Amino acid sequence: MSLLSIKDLHAGIGGKEILHGVNLEINAGEVHALMGPNGAGKSTLSSVLTGHPQYYVISGSVEFCGKDLLSLPAEERAREGLFMSFQYPVEIPGVSMVNFMRAAVNAKREHLGEPALSASEFLKLMRSKRELVEMRSDLTSRSVNEGFSGGEKKRNEIFQMAMLEPRLSILDETDSGLDIDALRIVADGVNRLRTPDNASIVITHYQRLLDYIVPDFVHVLYEGRIVMTGDKSLALELEEKGYDWIAQTAG
Amino acid sequence: MERIGQKTDLTLSRGETRELLLLEDTIGNGALNSVINIRQLERSDLTLFVITAKGVSATNNIRIIQEEPYCRTTLYVLAVGESCQEVVNNTLIEHQSTDGWSHELAKYVLDGTSSGTFFGELKVAPDAQRTESSQTNRNVLLSNDARVQTKPQLEIYADDVKCSHGATTGQLDEQAMFYMRQRGIGIEQARSMLIEAFLEEIIGKLPESVAEEVRQKIYNQAVNATTEI
Repeated sequence: MSLLSIKDLHAGIGGKEILHGVNLEINAGEVHALMGPNGAGKSTLSSVLTGHPQYYVISGSVEFCGKDLLSLPAEERAREGLFMSFQYPVEIPGVSMVNFMRAAVNAKREHLGEPALSASEFLKLMRSKRELVEMRSDLTSRSVNEGFSGGEKKRNEIFQMAMLEPRLSILDETDSGLDIDALRIVADGVNRLRTPDNASIVITHYQRLLDYIVPDFVHVLYEGRIVMTGDKSLALELEEKGYDWIAQTAG
Repeated sequence: MERIGQKTDLTLSRGETRELLLLEDTIGNGALNSVINIRQLERSDLTLFVITAKGVSATNNIRIIQEEPYCRTTLYVLAVGESCQEVVNNTLIEHQSTDGWSHELAKYVLDGTSSGTFFGELKVAPDAQRTESSQTNRNVLLSNDARVQTKPQLEIYADDVKCSHGATTGQLDEQAMFYMRQRGIGIEQARSMLIEAFLEEIIGKLPESVAEEVRQKIYNQAVNATTEI
């Protein structure tokens, strides 16, 4: 089943076109890795898909579960089941994790026509998902990401992903700033959340994360286009030959 | 926690601890005008909240004098403004004697064409050695037409003191807004959660029974005293 279908997407920020015609098809059950050098447009693609207000679409289309994704505001995209693990999770002093997550979970439930969770049902859900991603209990009683270490912030992203059970997750440089133990825990969480009905896009610079989250497809984004697609061996080849190789091949 | 009226003149006796609240949640005929004068004697400990609810225009003149050693003063000023509301807080904390401590935090959230003024005066007399004092003013403007003026004024005549002040004015954090929307939280709810978080730094310091009432009163429309009668 097709989850996401991107056709000839051109998009930019601040008067500059960054994506020059991206095509990508993602089906349920698949993990896609998106690799590429700095400035290739990886973060632009994730920002455009999630509806960041600073980015704009010039042309092209994106269908998400049969809906015109680009016509929906950011919050509706999320409620439809699109999730992004942020490269730099935002600290929100004064907003507790509990209130934040309850607002998010209930907004989604309302969108789907389900009743809001009671306080006890919600806390029970929090507890079980927290255990799934091995997150310390004191973190969920604090303000959102406030005073969290780099690893704790990334783990918190995966925790939120577990809570919201998205159909498509975009993991934007989830490995940046993680030591190897934190990386493994985050990857384990992602792997546990993998089902035949959902899919992920793993955005990364390096092959390292793909040792832990094994992709079905690897795409190389270069100067705003996907210039190469392969299986996981492409990531290894890229690691070996470097992005210069892409420049020569694509150039 | 005691409620005080708009005209309050009192002295904290030696060693006395008091928590006072001036809650301006009633629209009278025109703007409110509150005048609070408090004297503190040795080792007294004052916490004063001055809270102006949405819809209430007010000018507040607050003077707190530490006349004797080892006094402590905590002053919280909070105002929520909308439409053409005007809120002015002129505050003075004066350290006249040694070993005093004071902490002042003023926060404004202004929408519509409302305007806020914070004038924070701190005086440390030549004899008031070893004073420790901090003053912070933080403001959030929710509209293009809301305005805030902030003026810290520190007059320090003693040489062995620690005094700090800072003022910031900005909008709701755009990054936090997007983060919340990406989790499915709608714009209006995200805004109100961020505003609440901003105000909670002060409201959260009130005893819970009072805090709940203040939350109700400052977020909702203020009561109009002239039409209620």
